[in-house]
Amino acid sequence: MLKLTEHKYPQQALKSTEFLSAQKLYLPLTQHIGKEAKVCVEKNQIVEKNQIIAESSGLISAALHAPMKAKVLDIKKYPHITLQKTETIILEALPEKESKVSSEPAQLNQASKESILEKIADKGIVGMGGAGFPTHVKLNPPKKIDTLIINGCECEPYLASDCRLMAENLIEIFKGIEVIFKLTSPRRVIFAIEDNKTEAIKNLNLVTHTKKFSFPAPEIKILKSRYPQGGEKQLIYSLTKNKISCQMLPCDSGCLVFNVATCFAVYEAFYYNRPLIKRLVTFCGDALAEPKNLWVNLGTSLRELADKKVIEFRHTPKRIIFGGPMMGVAALNLDCSILKTTGGILFLKDSPRQLKEEESACIGCAQCVDNCPINLMPLEYAKLVKNKAYTDLEDFYIKDCIECGCCSYVCPSRIPLLDYIKLGKTKLK
Amino acid sequence: MRLEIAGPPHLKQKKNTSGVMLDVIIGLLPATAASLYFFGLPALILILTCTLTAVISEEIICKIRKQKSTVSDLSAAITGLLLALILPPAIRWYAAILGSIFAIVVGKHIFGGLGSNIFNPALLGRALIAGAYPAMITTYIEPGQTQAITEATPLMLQKFDGQLTALGQLFFGNVSGSIGETSAICLIIGGVYLLARRSADWRIPLSLLFGVLVISTAGYLINPDFGPPLFHLLAGGLMLGAFFMATDPATTPVTKKGRFIFGTACAALIMTLRYFSNLAEGVLFSILFMNAVVPLINRYTRPKPFGRDKK
Repeated sequence: MLKLTEHKYPQQALKSTEFLSAQKLYLPLTQHIGKEAKVCVEKNQIVEKNQIIAESSGLISAALHAPMKAKVLDIKKYPHITLQKTETIILEALPEKESKVSSEPAQLNQASKESILEKIADKGIVGMGGAGFPTHVKLNPPKKIDTLIINGCECEPYLASDCRLMAENLIEIFKGIEVIFKLTSPRRVIFAIEDNKTEAIKNLNLVTHTKKFSFPAPEIKILKSRYPQGGEKQLIYSLTKNKISCQMLPCDSGCLVFNVATCFAVYEAFYYNRPLIKRLVTFCGDALAEPKNLWVNLGTSLRELADKKVIEFRHTPKRIIFGGPMMGVAALNLDCSILKTTGGILFLKDSPRQLKEEESACIGCAQCVDNCPINLMPLEYAKLVKNKAYTDLEDFYIKDCIECGCCSYVCPSRIPLLDYIKLGKTKLK
Repeated sequence: MRLEIAGPPHLKQKKNTSGVMLDVIIGLLPATAASLYFFGLPALILILTCTLTAVISEEIICKIRKQKSTVSDLSAAITGLLLALILPPAIRWYAAILGSIFAIVVGKHIFGGLGSNIFNPALLGRALIAGAYPAMITTYIEPGQTQAITEATPLMLQKFDGQLTALGQLFFGNVSGSIGETSAICLIIGGVYLLARRSADWRIPLSLLFGVLVISTAGYLINPDFGPPLFHLLAGGLMLGAFFMATDPATTPVTKKGRFIFGTACAALIMTLRYFSNLAEGVLFSILFMNAVVPLINRYTRPKPFGRDKK
């Protein structure tokens, strides 16, 4: 695994703030892995806050809710950060009376497993670390779970939202873990965190020593900061030395991994019936006047954030990246909106020199081989794709690639190996 | 606002190909300095001749192949420098020039240029000179001598006369031999730098040196006439070969297991040649031979992906 320059400060030390008053919200039906959600509202309909606007449409799918009282402006194809254009529900916020009704939290010991699962499925929760796998599916594993792993690694440089959540909302995260624990009844719980998150680690020690929860105190594993350690299978390997191939599921080795933000969403859903309608997002990078950790409604567009000066530019950004710099996707323009899986957005004023250098011949240094967490031979993919020998790609196990980008990162010849791999994968389909 | 669109990752490590090559040159500096110290002006002339010829050949061949000049990646300069360092000081200028041109044109560009070559170009250059001018390549002189008074190398003395050179002398390099390979200490310093900078992988040099140590220890125990293990580690082109020739990325295996196999097999070949052949030295031909089997090694050592390697 790679040791990267972290760039976690100052954003990691900044208290979170919120901006929950966007006027227009763009909510794509696909914000998760699996089938896209099915629209259940009509154009011009008025929807209440938390109302379901698109429902789960299959075994692996997730529902979508209105983040605020709003009018459905349109349902049409709209730019999406990873899928070029996709069906999107566009909402226009309507004035809303502050509801002062504070509801009593639900009782965990009185709830049945089925009712909890149903509740979580209804609230549209997906894995918030980036993969976006529907959480209710994961919470109903086909096998006995031995180890429940809570993932607070956040191994991508720059991103700080998970760290802030652990520093500010750890008790809620633990209450979320209680719910997950009840559903999966594992033998033990491991809380994994990387050593660069000092504030979160301090809080973690404090909470585990002073508060009691309905599950045995988690083992806190402080890992050295490495990339891509936050990946599900890499994390399981770091903690348990179990290797899980691309044809297996984590539960095949008795493990189940949840991101801390997902645990928080589970807490909100179970105790307060709140669907997943907002999330904590890190906004940072050298093009911003000041970095921020913001609670924003899903569907908030970057354009509105910029227009309302919620985020201000010190320099005109040249590259805007949804996600971390290693796996994040470059945005075409400011029209893209915050999704369930968006943990951070990077605004860079210029590309570093290394990204501008031209691709040169492969010298066979094998750094890509040495640094591949999956033991693949990325240099071969580039050769095969260039020669259009796509059918040979499978001899080199191209489908095992997790697209972490380590190979492109280390290549001294600046060969965009990951681009070749992605191209090769599409040719194989 | 015009935004740049590119696939991830949006970060790349600082060192590029010329950075890797520059590390190799820096790693070779101590040995180069030792060659100037021990062999003086002829060494300087030889180094300049080979390096310049290699660079100029590279420039011309890029023109002929109608591609962008690749001189700035420094690989041609390395080939020239390496070739100079493995030649005896008394070599004539035309032989050095011929070897350098051959190294670049046939050793590298015939195969498609940087990264596509099968054999180490510098070694191939020396092999040509050894074939074309066998007398010149075996004529060595004592360090500090200006006139070519033929003097046997430590390996020749040991093999043919049973005469052992003092280990201290071998360590510091005050012996006859090719200009850049005599000083073990300088090569080790440069080699360690190269490994520490991660510009070469440790697996080949370590397995090669360890292999030689094991085999020569066994050989010494069986028959002391074979020479002591430390002698075999320090004498001849072993250090230069292990750190700078057998680590050439293009001509060595890309798999980790393959690199151990490569290093160990080189060691076995070197010791076989040193013990049983009519040659005093075996590093050159061992590495060249192993270069040829690299595709085979790569093929049979392809690693199993994460999680698939167990039952």
